[in-house]
Amino acid sequence: MRRIRTVANIVWLEMLRRKDLYVLLILLVALLFTLLSLNIFGLGSVVGFVKDAGLIAAWLFSWILAVSVASRQLPQEESRGTILPLLAKPIRRGELIVGKWLGTWSVVSVAVLCFYLLTAIMVWSHGGRFELLALTQAIMLHFAVLGIVSALAIALSVRFHQDATATLTYVLTATMYLIVPRIPEIILPAQGWRQTALYILYGTLPHFELFDMRRRVVHQYGPMPWGFFGVTLLYGATLISILLIIAWMGFRRKHFSRSNQD
Amino acid sequence: MESAIDIQDLSVIYKTRNSELAALQNLTMRVSKGQVFGFLGPNGAGKTTAMHVLLGFIQASAGKAFIFGADVQHSIARQRIGYLAEHPNTYRFLTGKELLRTAGQLFRIPRSTLEERIEQLLDQLDLNHAATRRVGTYSRGMLQRICIAEALINDPDLVILDEPTSGLDPIGRGQIRNIITDLRSRGKTVFFSSHELSEVELVCDALAILHKGRLVAQGATTDLIPKGEPLERFFMRTITAAEDPFPLPSQCGGGA
Repeated sequence: MRRIRTVANIVWLEMLRRKDLYVLLILLVALLFTLLSLNIFGLGSVVGFVKDAGLIAAWLFSWILAVSVASRQLPQEESRGTILPLLAKPIRRGELIVGKWLGTWSVVSVAVLCFYLLTAIMVWSHGGRFELLALTQAIMLHFAVLGIVSALAIALSVRFHQDATATLTYVLTATMYLIVPRIPEIILPAQGWRQTALYILYGTLPHFELFDMRRRVVHQYGPMPWGFFGVTLLYGATLISILLIIAWMGFRRKHFSRSNQD
Repeated sequence: MESAIDIQDLSVIYKTRNSELAALQNLTMRVSKGQVFGFLGPNGAGKTTAMHVLLGFIQASAGKAFIFGADVQHSIARQRIGYLAEHPNTYRFLTGKELLRTAGQLFRIPRSTLEERIEQLLDQLDLNHAATRRVGTYSRGMLQRICIAEALINDPDLVILDEPTSGLDPIGRGQIRNIITDLRSRGKTVFFSSHELSEVELVCDALAILHKGRLVAQGATTDLIPKGEPLERFFMRTITAAEDPFPLPSQCGGGA
């Protein structure tokens, strides 16, 4: 576990010394201020609008951050040649994968907490409030979905370069978030093997929409049933484990030499 | 004597769609504990490939390799190794101290021992003044020295150095030579590759010469190199003989 924590710590130190995180935080504040001060559709003073805008921005920025951080972890180690001194130490390749994922996920999760905190301050300044239990559930499910996105990017980065990994992860996650919930609409009119294939697709592809509690939080529907919440978290943990195992299987026998370096 | 490195019939073959390239062919060699062992060969001879097999970066197509009796495929084999890569690449966003601390944590060195060891290495390698500076701001020589400190953080019994003097000025080369001599005096094994044959000659107890993936000479320097012959001439003669094992009488040079 100490080696996993050490690898995660490298990710943390790098993030703290890069500008990405700070830029996103400043962008979020700027975006919220602009939205509110422009008073689009005259909704600037409506608390629901503030909540909605803040949560959409938190989802969008954390998605960008998770993909950009996770997709560069392994390819960057190869391109700058640091993978060789790292693997020359008694660290298992599985530990390296988990450490990279843990570092990415924890950095992005802390950033998300900051995004939520900023949104909460904005909402509070407009005289509104969040329902605490629902908000806690929303944040935890948001953490889970970021864990899945990070694990997917790390799994892809074992085989692809950084840019290809980032593009593929953006396309795959956006498609899954937008298309998978719509599959039932095309299942019903379909027939025969097409219907079966669509059912299989619907069952196997990750359901990101299950982790999105924005509507509940904005419209104050209250927390989701705890049983369903627990099962959703378990589903997220299972997806993360599967993706990390796939990453490890691709990485454990990968050859590293000077030719891997740019 | 116990062997630090034991390589048995090792072959590495890179396969592409249309061809096969034998980077190493049936390499068998042994490095005894406490030796300073020079691993020589022209560019592309397979030295780095052999080192990468020993470090588990690549897997051999055939044969076995052991470090202090442990199969190199297991991560435990790397517990007693220090490694300096050919290009001194490291995390440039970390300070010198953070880099060494990170390396020590990967070896699970207890915190108090680690801090002591960091101070000792920074002192030994004359990097105390830059300990809290980011590695990205270091000069080439300082970068090489911090990477050596990283390689020595676990007080390794076997130090593998891949061309440690490449790109260094004479002062830097002298420092590396002193480090190797110091390691030998403490009973450590040093296995290193270099093109600086004059440096190798000064510090090596034994050497091996590799050419086109094959071992063409191996032994103690005193047994291998005729008295009075410089290593460079011996090296050239060995490589030429390996290129053409049956030269025509007119090519021998000695004939009247």
